[in-house]
Amino acid sequence: MAATAPVPSLSFSRPTFAKLSPHPYLLTNLTDPENPCRTNGRVPHEARPIHIHTSSLAHANGSALVRTGDTTVVCGVRAEILPVASIPQYRPREPTYNDENTGDDSTDVDELKDYDLLVPNIELATGCAPQFLPGVPPTTLAQTLSTRIYSLLHSCKVVDPKGLRVWYTPPKETKEEGAMEVDEAQEEEEDEEETKPELKAYWVLYIDLLFVSFDGNPFDAAWTAVMAALRDTKLPAARWDPDREAVVCSRSEEAKTALGVRGLPVACTATVFLEKEHGEDSGTSAERKSRHWILLDPDRLEESLCKETVTVVVDCSGEETKVKSIEKHGGTVIGRELMRGFVGVAEGRWREVKEASK
Amino acid sequence: MADRRRINGPVGTTIPPIYDDASEKKSEGVKTTRSRPANVIRKMYLKTGVTPSASGSAYLEIESSGNGGSGLKLSCSVHGPRALPRSTPFSPHIILSTHVKFAPFATKQRRGYIRDPIERDLGTHLEAALRGSIIADRWPKSGVDIIISIVEGEQDRETSKAQGIEAWDTMNALSGCITVASAALADAGIDCVDTVAGGVAALVQDAGDDAAPSIVVDPIPSEHEKVLAACCIAYLPTRQEVTNLWFKGDLPASDMDLYSQLVEKGIQASKSANWVLVDCLNETVG
Repeated sequence: MAATAPVPSLSFSRPTFAKLSPHPYLLTNLTDPENPCRTNGRVPHEARPIHIHTSSLAHANGSALVRTGDTTVVCGVRAEILPVASIPQYRPREPTYNDENTGDDSTDVDELKDYDLLVPNIELATGCAPQFLPGVPPTTLAQTLSTRIYSLLHSCKVVDPKGLRVWYTPPKETKEEGAMEVDEAQEEEEDEEETKPELKAYWVLYIDLLFVSFDGNPFDAAWTAVMAALRDTKLPAARWDPDREAVVCSRSEEAKTALGVRGLPVACTATVFLEKEHGEDSGTSAERKSRHWILLDPDRLEESLCKETVTVVVDCSGEETKVKSIEKHGGTVIGRELMRGFVGVAEGRWREVKEASK
Repeated sequence: MADRRRINGPVGTTIPPIYDDASEKKSEGVKTTRSRPANVIRKMYLKTGVTPSASGSAYLEIESSGNGGSGLKLSCSVHGPRALPRSTPFSPHIILSTHVKFAPFATKQRRGYIRDPIERDLGTHLEAALRGSIIADRWPKSGVDIIISIVEGEQDRETSKAQGIEAWDTMNALSGCITVASAALADAGIDCVDTVAGGVAALVQDAGDDAAPSIVVDPIPSEHEKVLAACCIAYLPTRQEVTNLWFKGDLPASDMDLYSQLVEKGIQASKSANWVLVDCLNETVG
């Protein structure tokens, strides 16, 4: 070990060793007979505690700050109006459809995706780590993360599109103006023959993420922040003003409606650390023989040393655990059994996040 | 062609929500008088070491005005000193590069990811303010990056008064940037002659017809009827030097006294901010 080297002239501090030869350094730590743990003091299956703080930003409709260890990310959700008139190839939808078939997800997903109502973006170039400096276009990592968040938002059907619609009922000849809001649509259902509510606009959610500090495992932190911010999001009551031909919102706090968010999917990432340094003879058989450790919630050093990464997204808010997504790349160590076990680990992580987001 | 490296959202343009006049009446109850004495700055919270992987970092939060407004929240990280790339010509002193960026959710209007002129302007002023405090010739051939993310800008949520206010908000943002960058530089262990801090003073016209213009420190534009002129000062207290002075607004050219009073008040604001800064740094050391 670095600090207890017998010859004082050759001893370096732990950070120096970590910089000089990171792979042997982590390996020595993991194979330490007395106290096998990672360089950050955690055991392989230990994740960093997670802290979630919501509604701290005044200008965003919903916001969250998530901190796991030294990774800190701020997420702000901002809603803007998209009038249907400015959607190219817009297909008007039947209002009855929306109100009765609440559980029909297949059409919901089309709506969110066809009109691109969710816009997640990740900004890494904030000096959150030495390799991310501003003044450059988004790095590959930032682009990948944004796309992963984007596709996961759509595949998990997290956002309920009902809350994003702004309806308008044209007035009947005799009665007074019946401009109404989204959630009133159901009650007015009876006199639907005379006046059909029209869909006038959608809310578009701009979900922006800013990394304040980066120490590995950006996806889990970012996803947790997105979920926390979405659950925190409140949209102002909006109605269509036929005179102005625009959507007008109300400023009152009471009229705000919380965004419908389904479930609580939680991402859980781990990397596989191999005894052999990668690059040297990475045949499949050699990899199998070589010892490996599965490191949950890797930090920056560990991420740089591991090739194989697995991310499982689970949602345990129902009776049984639902696996929402599995992503794995870079190696062949994790097979079927390990994956099954890892879902169990992810369930544990889900409970931690659930606890933290209270 | 849209930026393909980011997710751009719908093809059609989206409109920020428009609020109707009916509910705007409520917001008129907002107080337009200053809640603090004229020569007291707002409370601020400063913390160093928020980004452990950077050489130095700091976080600054200034309390909000209390009427639906938002305080300033800044995060700063310093990377370096480090060797300049080989292609750069020889430099006998350290090269500062400053970046100031508003987060997309920092202000009332959503901001893009590309730096706009205001942010570039802030960066230039910040560089000027810091250059005077760093002992630059201790690091020849090296560079240091100072990056500030404005997580939340200081702007009131009420749109009605917002026109023309942004210029003054920029000034408050700059003074915060200077203070937080100075803390981050100290955290990074970069030698400075002194800790520089920012302060703003403004000549304001209060509500009421016969009120004479008065000078206040750390102005919140919404608390006053009108801001006539403002000046942002970066000041080194032990050396009694001003490293950056940014003045904006109209002052009668005949009255030079008013001008120097404004600068004096700016220096006073800067000194108050400096106490917070020094306290924070002492806490870290001790």
